Amino acid sequence: MRHRRALELPLEDSAAAPAPRQAPASRSGDLLHPIVGRADAATIAPAELWLAVHLASPSPPAQQNLERLGARAQRLTPRVSLDPPDSLLLEIKGSLHLFGGVAGLSREMAGECSRLQMPCMLAVAPTPLAALALARAGRKLGVSPSRTADSAAVLTITDLAQLVGKLSPLPLAALRWPQDTLNRLARIGVRTIGEALRLPRAGFARRFGTVQLQTLDRLIGRVSDLKDRFEVRPRFRRRRELIYELESHAALLAVLTPLLAQLGEFLQARQCGVLTLECRLRHRGIPPTRCVLRLAAPLADAVQLATLLGERLNALVLPQPVRACELRSGPLVSRILASGELWQPGEHGGGAAAQAPELIERLRARLGPEAVYGLRVIEDHRPEAAWQVREPVMTLPAAARGSQNDPWPFGHRPPWLLPVPRQLNERDGLPRRRGALRLLGEAERIETGWWDGHEIARDYYTAVDARGARLWVFRERELPHRWFLHGVFG
Amino acid sequence: MRSEVPYAELHCLTHFTFLRGASHPHELVGQAVELGYEALAITDECSVAGVVRAHVAAKGQQLKLIIGAELHLTCGLKLVALATDRRGYGRLCRLITRGRRAAAKGGYSLTRADLEENGLEHCLILWLPQDPSSEEARLEEARWLDERFSDKLWIAVELLRGGTDREHLQALQRIGRERQLPLVASGDVHMHVRARRRLQDAVTAIRHNVPIWEAGSKLYPNGERYLRERARLAKLYPRELLEETVAIARRCTFSLEELRYEYPHELVPPGETPTSHLRKLTEAGARWRWPQGVPDGERAAIEHELALIADLRYEPYFLTVHDIVAFARSKKILCQGRGSAANSRVCYCLGVTSVDPLRGASLLFERFISRERNEPPDIDIDFEHERREEVIQYVYEKYGRERAAIAATVIMYRPRSALRDLGKVFGLDPEECARLTKVIQWWDGGEVMRERLREAGFDPDGPMLARLLPLAHELVAFPGFPRHLSQHVGGFVISEGALEELVPIENATMKGRTVVQWDKDDLNDLGLLKVDLLALGMLTALRKSFDLVNAFRGTQHALGGLPAEAPEVYEMISRADTIGVFQIESRAQMAMLPRLQPRCYYDLVIEIAIVRPGPIQGDMVHPYLKRRQSGEPMSYPSTEVGAVLKRTLGVPIFQEQVMQLAIAAAGFTPGEADALRRAMGAWKRSGGIEHFREKLIGGMKSRGYADEFAERLYQQMLGFGEYGFPESHSASFALLAYDSAWLKCHEPAAFTAALLNSQPMGFYAPAQLVRDARTHGAEVRPVDVCMSVWDCTLERREDGHPALRLGLRLVKSLSQSGADRLIEARLHQPFASVQDLAARAALDRGDLEALAAAGAFAALSGNRHLAFWEVAGTERPLPLEAALVDTHEAALEPTPLLRTPTEGERIVADYASVGLTLGRHPLALLRASLQSKRLLSARDLDGVAHGTPVRTAGIVLMRQRPGTASGVTFLTLEDETGQVNIIVWERIGDEYRRALVESRLLEVHGELQRQEGVTHVVAHRLFDRSPLLGQLITRSRDFH
Repeated sequence: MRHRRALELPLEDSAAAPAPRQAPASRSGDLLHPIVGRADAATIAPAELWLAVHLASPSPPAQQNLERLGARAQRLTPRVSLDPPDSLLLEIKGSLHLFGGVAGLSREMAGECSRLQMPCMLAVAPTPLAALALARAGRKLGVSPSRTADSAAVLTITDLAQLVGKLSPLPLAALRWPQDTLNRLARIGVRTIGEALRLPRAGFARRFGTVQLQTLDRLIGRVSDLKDRFEVRPRFRRRRELIYELESHAALLAVLTPLLAQLGEFLQARQCGVLTLECRLRHRGIPPTRCVLRLAAPLADAVQLATLLGERLNALVLPQPVRACELRSGPLVSRILASGELWQPGEHGGGAAAQAPELIERLRARLGPEAVYGLRVIEDHRPEAAWQVREPVMTLPAAARGSQNDPWPFGHRPPWLLPVPRQLNERDGLPRRRGALRLLGEAERIETGWWDGHEIARDYYTAVDARGARLWVFRERELPHRWFLHGVFG
Repeated sequence: MRSEVPYAELHCLTHFTFLRGASHPHELVGQAVELGYEALAITDECSVAGVVRAHVAAKGQQLKLIIGAELHLTCGLKLVALATDRRGYGRLCRLITRGRRAAAKGGYSLTRADLEENGLEHCLILWLPQDPSSEEARLEEARWLDERFSDKLWIAVELLRGGTDREHLQALQRIGRERQLPLVASGDVHMHVRARRRLQDAVTAIRHNVPIWEAGSKLYPNGERYLRERARLAKLYPRELLEETVAIARRCTFSLEELRYEYPHELVPPGETPTSHLRKLTEAGARWRWPQGVPDGERAAIEHELALIADLRYEPYFLTVHDIVAFARSKKILCQGRGSAANSRVCYCLGVTSVDPLRGASLLFERFISRERNEPPDIDIDFEHERREEVIQYVYEKYGRERAAIAATVIMYRPRSALRDLGKVFGLDPEECARLTKVIQWWDGGEVMRERLREAGFDPDGPMLARLLPLAHELVAFPGFPRHLSQHVGGFVISEGALEELVPIENATMKGRTVVQWDKDDLNDLGLLKVDLLALGMLTALRKSFDLVNAFRGTQHALGGLPAEAPEVYEMISRADTIGVFQIESRAQMAMLPRLQPRCYYDLVIEIAIVRPGPIQGDMVHPYLKRRQSGEPMSYPSTEVGAVLKRTLGVPIFQEQVMQLAIAAAGFTPGEADALRRAMGAWKRSGGIEHFREKLIGGMKSRGYADEFAERLYQQMLGFGEYGFPESHSASFALLAYDSAWLKCHEPAAFTAALLNSQPMGFYAPAQLVRDARTHGAEVRPVDVCMSVWDCTLERREDGHPALRLGLRLVKSLSQSGADRLIEARLHQPFASVQDLAARAALDRGDLEALAAAGAFAALSGNRHLAFWEVAGTERPLPLEAALVDTHEAALEPTPLLRTPTEGERIVADYASVGLTLGRHPLALLRASLQSKRLLSARDLDGVAHGTPVRTAGIVLMRQRPGTASGVTFLTLEDETGQVNIIVWERIGDEYRRALVESRLLEVHGELQRQEGVTHVVAHRLFDRSPLLGQLITRSRDFH
C-alpha cells in the first residue's frame, strides 16, 4: 500500500507579521484590536475537526451527485453537511479512531469520490470554514485534485494554535465573498486572509459588513459554526416475500395492495408524490420481472396508483411464478395539493379538465406511453411541418380552457395527411389513382422551407377520383414535375 | 394575333421598405424595362426614400416612373397612394411626414382622420382589401374610402396563387359592382426576380426578430411577389384589369424633375435684392481683408465670382452660409469653411474661410458652381465639436422645423451587421454570432477562411453556413442593402417653402432631430441645397489653447492670427515631431514628413493631400518627392498643362488638378469635368468611366499631345479614383495644421492641456499626449483634490513657466456635479482631511472612490490603500451594523498599517483611472526581464543598421489594416523609450493571427528596415507577452 501524504502547511510565524498600531486602551475591549490577536505558542487541541471535500471538476456537480456523495459519506460520520454547489463537510473528530486517523479517513473519503468519478481536494481543519478555504485554495498551494483514493493529498491543520498562521497566506477569494467586497479589499491592498485578519474589527465591520466579520470569526473558531446536518432524501422501498408462488395477475395485485397502501401513507405523510414506481417480481432462478410505471404528474393516491399499476401488470407476461414482490419508488417529488372541483363534470360548467389527466394516465398505462400523444399546430406553410406530435398536456392552461373550440387553422386543407406523400402515376401530365383524377379549382402554390433542408416548391390541387373521393394532390414545381398524393378530405 | 397585354406595376416595394422589400430600386427598374412594362410605381411603405435612385435608374429608359407610397392605417386599412402631379406629390409627402413624425424613429402612425385632413388631392388611390374572412369589414372600408375618394379610387386585385385567387377576385368584383368601383391588377411586388425569395424570407425573420423556423406565417407562402412576365399575368387576370393599370399610369404625370428648389429669402433686408445685399457684404468684407485697398487682380476675381453667382441665382445660398458663420462668430464659436466655393474670394471676404487667395493657389471656384449644370455649390463648415449643437439649434430656430432638416444617411448592411442579423435568423446565440463575425473579419475566402471557420467551431461545409453565407453576400454586395435611415453627420437642407412638400421628414434617434428621407446623393441628384455643418475636435482644442495661452501670457492669439510661416515650426514638422498636430499626426503622415520636409504653407497643403490612398495608388508620391529633391526644372507638354501642374511639380496630386487637366488638355467644359469627377467617385464600384476615356484621349490627341502622355494621364486618373483629396479642403485644413503646430512648438503645456480638455478627439490617447509633452520639457502635475479643477489648467512655476495640472475630468467615473461641489467647497476653505472633503462637498461613495482610485487624495491621506480605507470609512454604518459596533468608537479608530502599493500597482492603477501615468512606463519595470531575453528597446533600435535581424517588444498602441494595403497590418508598439513601427505581411499575420489580434504586450522578431529616415521592423514572428503585464500586480485584468 502506498503511503499517505498528509501535507503540513508551512506555518507563517504570526509573531513576525507587523503588529497593528495599537490604540490606547479602551473600555470596549477588543473593538479596536485586530480581528485576531497574537497566537499563543502552545499547542491547543481543537474540540472539533472538520474534513472538507471540494469537488474540483471544472463545472460544479449536479445537486443530485452531491447528495449521493453525502449519503456515502454518512458511513464515515453522522455529521455530514452539504455546502452546495461543490463542497461537502464532515465532522470527523469522533470517527478518527475507527478509520485510522486523518489519513485513513481521508483515504476512505477520496475513495468514495473516485468511485463516483469526482476529482476532489481534501482538507482538514478545526473549523468548517477553515477546512473549506484550505480545500478551495488547494490548487493555489500547489496541490492537484486527486482522482484515486491513494493519490489523495490532504491539507491538514490539527492544531488550533497554528490555525491563523496557516490560513494567513490563503487568498481571500477562498472565502467566496462577493466579488465587490473582494475588489474593495484589494483596493486597500488586502488580498489574503492574513491581511484581512490584521484589520481593526470595528473598522472592518463598518467598511465591509458584519457578515464578513462573522465569517472571519467563524473561520478562526472565535464563534462556533453550526452546520445543517445532511439527511438523505427518502425513497419508498418495501418487499413482500410470499409463502406460496403466484401465477394469476389478479392475485398479484391483491398481494401488492398492502404495499401500495403503505406507499400511500408514506407519501401522504411527506406531502410528496412519485413520478416513477417500479414493481419487481421475483422468480426462482431467473432475474426478476420489472414493471415500471411512469407518470406524467406526481401522484400519491394509493387507489389511483393501484389502478394504474394494475393496467401495467395486466399487460405483463410472467415467465415464471412469482415468489416475492417489491415496490420501489423513484425520488419523491413535492406535490401541490389540488382541491377537488365543486361540480361534477357536465354540471354547472364543471369541466372534463380535471378528469383528463386521469384518462390519459389510464390510456397510457394500458396502451403504453408511446401510444398516447398530443398534437400541436405549428406555424409553417409546409403542410407536413404544420403540426407536430407532442407529450399530452395534463393540465390545460387556464387561458385555454375558455376557448377550446379553436377552428382547424387550415381552411381548405384536409385534416388527414399521409405521413409521406405518395407518388402518383400520370398520363399526359395529369395524375392518376385508380383511374384519372379530376382536378378541381386552382393551384395553391407553396414554396418555402429552404432553411432546414426540407424545401418544398409545389402546386397543390384538390382532386376527385373515380369513386368521388376528394384527394389533396400536388405537382412539383421542379422538373420532372412529378405528382403526389398528400392527403384525403373526410 | 392577340398582342401582348400592356401592364404597369402600381404596387411595388423596394428594399427601402426596410427588411420587407428585397430588391434595389435600380434592379426593379431594370427588370420592369426588361419585361416591357409601360410604367412602374415605387410605393415603399410610408416612404419615398428609394425614389431618387429609381428616378436616376429610369432616366432615359422606356419606362415611366410613378411616385407613390403604401400606407397602413392604424385601423387596419391599407392602400397605395400615387402622385399624379407636383401638388399630389406634395400632399403625399405631407401625409408621410405626418405619419412619421407621430411615431418613434423607424415607425409611423396614420389614422383615417389624418387621411381625411390631408385629403390626398391630386393622388390616385388603390385600396388593398384585407381580411377575406370578414366581408362586412371589407365593405365598411370600401364605403369609407368611396365616400371620400370616389372618383380616384380603385380596388387593387392581387392574385398571388394562394389557392383562392378565383374566390378572391369574385368577392372583389361583387364589392366593385355594389359600390361602382373599378378594379385594377397589381402585384404586391417585393422583389425584382423570384430568386430573391430566400433573402426576402430572411429579412422578414430579421424584421420580426425570430429564427427563420419560427417565422411561420409571417413569411409569404410562396415567391409570387416579384415582377411577373406579362404573359403570366395575362393568364391570371381578366384583360380589363391589366389594361386599367396602364390607364392609371397615364394619369400620373409627375416626375421628380419638376422639383424646384427655392432658397430662403429672409436674409435680405428690406429694400435690397439678394444680389445687392451679397455685394454689400462682400465689399465690406473686402475692405476688412485688405485694409490697404483691394488688389486689382482680386477685385476682378470678385467681380467674376459675383457675376457667376448672380447668373445662377445662388446669392441666397451664400447669404445663408454667411448668416450661420456670423452667428458662430457672435457666440465665439470657432469655425472654418472648406470646399471650392468656400475658398472663393467671396467667401474669404464673408469670413467663411481664412485661406488667403494670394497665399493659397488658384483654387478652382468653378468646380461646384458651373454655368451648364444646375448644381448647387457645396460648402462644408467645421465648428468646434463641443459647440456645434448650438449652431444646429440656431438653424432650427431660425428656419423652423418645417423648413430645415438634416439629410439622411442610409445605413447599409456591412459584413459584421449582416452576419449578426443572419446569425440570429439561423438561431445562433450572440456568442456564436460574435465568433462568426470575428472569423469573417478576416474574410479572404478560400481555404484560409474554411480553416478559420473550423477553428472557430463552425463547419464550413455544413448546411447552416451553406445557406447563411450566400445570403450574407447578397446583403453586403454593391450597392448595398439598406437597413435603416440614420442622420447625416451635419448636412442641412433648408428651403424657402415648406420642406415637407418637397420630401417627407421623419424623426431621428437623437431627441429633437429630424431628418429628410433622402441622403446626400439623392439631394445632389435632384440639385437640392445642402449646407454641411460639421464638428471638428481640433477647432475646440485650438480655441481652448488660445484661451489658456492668452490668459497665461496676456496675448491676443486667435485663429489664423498666429505669426505666419515661422521657420522653427516647420523645423519641428519636418522632424515628424507632430503628435497632436491636426491632420499630420498619423503614422503615415509622420513617415512622409521627413521626406517631404515642408517649409511653407503650401507644402502643408500638399502634405495633407499626398498621404491619401489616391496619390499613393496612382503612384504620384515618389515622382513628386524625386522632383522636389532634385530641383530639376520641369518641362511640360504645353503651357496649359504647365499652368495646371506647375504648383505640384508636374505631378497631379489634387482632385481639382485632374479636372483642370481635362479642361486644359482635353477640352472638357467645366461641367463635363465635374461629371468626370463624379464618375471617378463611383467607377470602382459601378464602372462608367469608359466613355470619358475616348473623350479624354481623343481630346488630348486632337490638341497635339502624344499618345503616351494621354494614356499615362488617363491611368493616373484611374488610380486616383475616388480617393483624390481636394485642394480646396486641404487648403483649409493646412491652416489648422499650421496653427496647431505653432502652439505645439511654442506652448506645449497649453496645447496639451487643450487637447486633453477636448477629448475624445485626434489620433492619440491622453497617455501619449502627456508623455510627448513631458519629453518636450513640459512639467505635468498629477490630479490633486487640493489643486485640480475640472479641466486641465496651467499653473505658474517659480521660474515663470507654465506647468500643466491634470484636471478632474480625467478621473474615470467621477461625476461632473460632484467635481463642481468639490471645487466650490475648496474655495471656501482648504480641505483638512478626506472626511472633511467628503462632508463639505457632499460626495457620494462613487465619487470618493473614483478620486481615491485616481490617487487624487495623495495630499490628504497618502497612498491609494489608505485613501480607500478612509473613503470606505466615510460611509454611515447601517443600523444593523451599528448594533454590533459602537459608533462612538469609530471616531477613535486607529489607522491600520496597510501595505504600501508597489510601483507596478501604482502604474496599473494610474492607467485604470486617469488613463496615463506620471510614473515610469510599465515596460521600464519589465526591462530587466526583457533584456534577459535579448529584446531591444525603441532607443536601442535607433543604433541598429538596415537589414539587421532584431527582437523587440512593446505595448500595442495601434493596429491598422488599411483596405488599400492588401492584407498588410501596421502596428505601433510603445515602450519607455519611444515607439516602434511594425509591418506585418499578410502571410505572417495569418500564421500568428492570435498574437497579432489579441496581444497587449507583443514581442516581435524580424528585420529592421530603414529608408529615407523612416524606420520600421518587418515582422517574421510574433508572440503574445501580455501575461508579463499581469505580473506587475496580483491580478492583471485591470490593465488597459
